[in-house]
Amino acid sequence: MTIAAKAYKFSEIIADPVIGARWEKVRRYFFLRESTYDMSNRCNIRCEGCYYFTGDKQFAEENRDAQAWRQLLEAEKARGITFVVLAGAEPSLVPELCAACHEVIPLGAIASNGLKKIPPAIAYRIHISVWGNDQTSLAIRKAPDMLYRQIENYQDDARAVFVYTFTPINIDEAREVTELLARHGLKITFNMFSAPVGYSGPLRHNAETLARTEQVMTALLAEFPETVLFSHYNIMAHTRRQGLHELFSCSYPRMNPSTDIGLGRSFRQYRTNLQWDRDAACCVPDTDCDDCRHYAAGSAVVTARMYRHATDPLTFSAWLDYVDTYLAVWVKGYAKGANLCAVPVAPPPNHEPLPR
Amino acid sequence: MTRDINQTIIRIAEIIINTLKLEDVTPQAFDADLDLVDEVGVDSMDLATIALVLRDEYGIRIDEDYYPKLTTVRIIAEYISNKLTSGE
Repeated sequence: MTIAAKAYKFSEIIADPVIGARWEKVRRYFFLRESTYDMSNRCNIRCEGCYYFTGDKQFAEENRDAQAWRQLLEAEKARGITFVVLAGAEPSLVPELCAACHEVIPLGAIASNGLKKIPPAIAYRIHISVWGNDQTSLAIRKAPDMLYRQIENYQDDARAVFVYTFTPINIDEAREVTELLARHGLKITFNMFSAPVGYSGPLRHNAETLARTEQVMTALLAEFPETVLFSHYNIMAHTRRQGLHELFSCSYPRMNPSTDIGLGRSFRQYRTNLQWDRDAACCVPDTDCDDCRHYAAGSAVVTARMYRHATDPLTFSAWLDYVDTYLAVWVKGYAKGANLCAVPVAPPPNHEPLPR
Repeated sequence: MTRDINQTIIRIAEIIINTLKLEDVTPQAFDADLDLVDEVGVDSMDLATIALVLRDEYGIRIDEDYYPKLTTVRIIAEYISNKLTSGE
């Protein structure tokens, strides 16, 4: 949809009571400052196209000393980190380290394949990765009965959000997975396969698969509004021919040389040896930045671009839907509201991308 | 010019105080040279919000890649003053 050129003041936009209420709802979470942590260099499955097992981070030595992790998180907290993302390779294999992190910084999320249940005392959001139906998962992830086991582990667990990664070969399976999760009262959100550096296999999206994914996401969002945590603007931002960096200029250190403020200043991506490298720091290291449409990247990159979306009520509503979705997906206990914007809105023009 | 800048500084301080809901400080007492990030605790979303309120107030567009450099009230005031003078 093309937006009319009337110039709105920000105060006019948020004077709308519905927009104003949503603005006040989301801005209470502007204090969130994230960093991410690789918890283990082991995984109990091996998926095609896994970004963790690309590049050299997989070879970092594991630090399995809970006290060392606690000290790291204390230092992170002291420098202003309020939200942790525990990821790669498989955090559920080291629950004692996840618990140590949770004791220090109580807000966060864990990216897991869901095959080993994370103890309930670790009250983070838990993102359970789904790459299609069980037949496709067996082929791509070499693990049988994944959905069955994931659901068994996380049925009635308010921490759980299932993250369906769209690849060119599982687009049409998203419906049966969403239906299944809906029947179990579980939540799902959507991710886009984003190719690791050097990957040229069959999971890399193309123009046709992006368009088909957009159609399926739109249909599922309409049919399963209580199950699907997503918005029309999420769909627009993540299924364009251009990746997130081209659309929004990625603000993670890997692509953003500025250390003035925001992610470029505060974000770190720690490896299993508790070291980090600014040149590699982003939420999905070793992903091909030109192909990055990853949900975790968008959650930070699109959200950070508030200023450019405050042009008119429709565009700002679309951005608010995105932020509301981001918070519902990442923050345990945050309840997603109904989407304000029922039509697709094109992302505002981007500035010149930051130099690499 | 100096008087104008001082007025702008006070108004910007007022906007920051209101936007961030700061307590125990008045616009007149706000140190215009405090580093908003390091010393006041402003983060990127706060600064974006402040930039939008300034856009409303002064009718100027602040470049999205530039506002992270607006790190003190004085720098903001000078930036606005220059923008208004140049008619951008």
